[in-house]
Amino acid sequence: MIKKLLASVRKETLLLLRDRVGLAILFIMPMVLIFVMTLIQDSAFKTLNEKGIPVVFVNEDKDSLGITIEQGLRGSTLCAFSDSIDGQPATYETAKNAVADGKFLVGVVIPKGATDAIRKNVMQLVEETMSTDSVQTIAISDSVDITIFIDPITKKSFLTSITSSLREFISIVKTKIMFQTFSDQIAEIIPDQEKKPVNAFNKTQIIKYNEVFASKQIEEIVPNAVQHNVPAWTIFAMFFIVIPMAGSIMKEKNEGSVFRLHTMPSSYLLLINGKIITYIFVCMIQFVLMMSVGLYFLPMLGLPKLFMGNSYLALFIITLATAFAATGYGVMVGTIASTEQQGAIGGALSILLLSAIGGVWVPTYVMPGVMRDLSALSPLNWSLNSFYELFLRGAGVEAVWYDALKLMLFFLLTMTVASIINRSNRKI
Amino acid sequence: MEQGTIIEIQGLTKTFRGALEPAVKGISLSIGRNEIFGLLGPNGAGKTTTISILCGLFPATSGKINIDGMDMKGDLSNIKQIVGVVPQDIALYPTLTARENLDFYGHMYGLSGKLLKDKIDMWLENFGLTEAAKRKVNTYSGGMKRRVNLIAAILHDPKILFLDEPTVGVDVQSRNVIIDYLKKLNDNGTTIIYTSHHMDEAEHFCTKVAIIDNGTIIEQGTPAELISRYDGCHNLESVFLQLTKRRLRD
Ligand SMILES: Nc1ncnc2c1ncn2[C@@H]1O[C@H](COP(=O)(O)OP(=O)(O)O)[C@@H](O)[C@H]1O
Ligand SMILES: [Mg+2]
Repeated sequence: MIKKLLASVRKETLLLLRDRVGLAILFIMPMVLIFVMTLIQDSAFKTLNEKGIPVVFVNEDKDSLGITIEQGLRGSTLCAFSDSIDGQPATYETAKNAVADGKFLVGVVIPKGATDAIRKNVMQLVEETMSTDSVQTIAISDSVDITIFIDPITKKSFLTSITSSLREFISIVKTKIMFQTFSDQIAEIIPDQEKKPVNAFNKTQIIKYNEVFASKQIEEIVPNAVQHNVPAWTIFAMFFIVIPMAGSIMKEKNEGSVFRLHTMPSSYLLLINGKIITYIFVCMIQFVLMMSVGLYFLPMLGLPKLFMGNSYLALFIITLATAFAATGYGVMVGTIASTEQQGAIGGALSILLLSAIGGVWVPTYVMPGVMRDLSALSPLNWSLNSFYELFLRGAGVEAVWYDALKLMLFFLLTMTVASIINRSNRKI
Repeated sequence: MEQGTIIEIQGLTKTFRGALEPAVKGISLSIGRNEIFGLLGPNGAGKTTTISILCGLFPATSGKINIDGMDMKGDLSNIKQIVGVVPQDIALYPTLTARENLDFYGHMYGLSGKLLKDKIDMWLENFGLTEAAKRKVNTYSGGMKRRVNLIAAILHDPKILFLDEPTVGVDVQSRNVIIDYLKKLNDNGTTIIYTSHHMDEAEHFCTKVAIIDNGTIIEQGTPAELISRYDGCHNLESVFLQLTKRRLRD
């Protein structure tokens, strides 16, 4: 039995080694994809219209600034706004934890007295500007600390847009307060047209931003193109084995080997198992290759080095589960398809689709709500989420076992479907 | 089952899914041990269907089959172990060498190690393929492929060898090599069941023949018996033509 299995693994390996196109699809294409996608990603993502990022808002200020920002965030198509967590009003602490747990990608905290602080600053500014003294004596005694919690998986380009929106809201508030203060002052003093306070105002940064990456990592990992693209395209590559794998199943049918095997005292399942074992090894080799691209080759191009998280066990578990899901899918496609071409096209298109909705090309959190719900159906998404947990949040086995289980169930499902179809095909 | 009978078929019927008419209609046959049995008939007569059922490729719709004392339904995997099948079409991995193909199929019959290696060496030698065995099968001529296709079915020394049109599309030289080796195998005790529509070849090669048309056995016996049974027939071909009425087949 073991000897038969080994013989079929050996046969499968030889077939694969002699399939140049298959080898290129399995190893060269995904490596090229990682390079290309990581390199172009920055510019591509800047033009990307990112929508509906979940933001939790904590308004401890409850004055002009807080209200303006809240209105701005609520009205923004960029954000999915929320000011409560699990039905409770959000606080600094709960918001921080919620972002760390991935419930929200961004948390914004407007501290108590923020508006007052601005008011005080503006007053001081206005007084100094309006005074007969020189402009250069501007001193800001008190600044406002707005805290922004950021999930490490949030795209840099989105962060830029959110912080610039915040700046916009704040400047609206400042302008309002300023206008009021001025109106008050103008009412008293005759304005000197030569001393418009505009320049001084622009030079002043009243509000400081604290960007805190709400990761449970001690040493915080800054999200970047590498941390997304390396795992995403590794998963894509692993699932792309469906093409050579379905091809090999189809060829065996067409070339009569399956026919011959049915006349032999060995089961067809044995042959399929030989394939699964071989292709799981292929997936593992792909994984090592792709990771080495992230660890060694991307840094050569000046990109950040891949951080692989803290748990190699968790990494192994999720990779193995992904490999099982991918090979199961390959067996299913190879069994359903009736020609080699059909298998290749069907396999490629379905993987492109599953990878697109699964967040390989464009991360799921920039997708509209309906798409985000859909993405939870893609096995590539289950795997990618686990890789995010490991690579961005530094999580361990506890964060991946559920997805790994789902991937294994997917494997069982595909094998069941394949065996039912196979049985019905043989009923002639 | 009679002494000396290795295959006993009773009332074998096969209706394919969705077909209006059975492809095989209640065939009964007795094939003796160590026979070279020819199942002869025009295209579409039901030869491949009959052989496929005997090899366990798909089940019959009805009928009883007993092979070497074992019932087809209950003992299929034991039957498969003593049966060799040479399919009508080449069934080999084109990108593997002959040796790699034979090694794989040998393992699937449960052979391994030195025993398997020696058998492969011997057959490659016998069929003049020792040199070519290092090359991929897709570089072979049609005749060479046929020979490897045959070796793959006899590595496990089957008691019964089924061949479906083994000499179709083969040049005369390869055909003679194959026929000679089948005779040698038969001398060593292998029962051979083969299908053909080459009447001339069958007349000289077979010890017994059955003529099948439209899913029914219409005549059987030794070639000599059949020829003497029909007036004015001097060879198996004229018997065959008389029986199948010179109808055109697709
Ligand atoms: N898989 C199949 N499904 C449906 N009909 C089939 C199938 N295989 C063969 N047939 C039909 O059964 C009949 C006998 O075919 P076959 O046994 O291949 O004939 P032969 O080998 O004598 O040329 C033909 O009419 C053929 O069309
Ligand atoms: Mg036929």
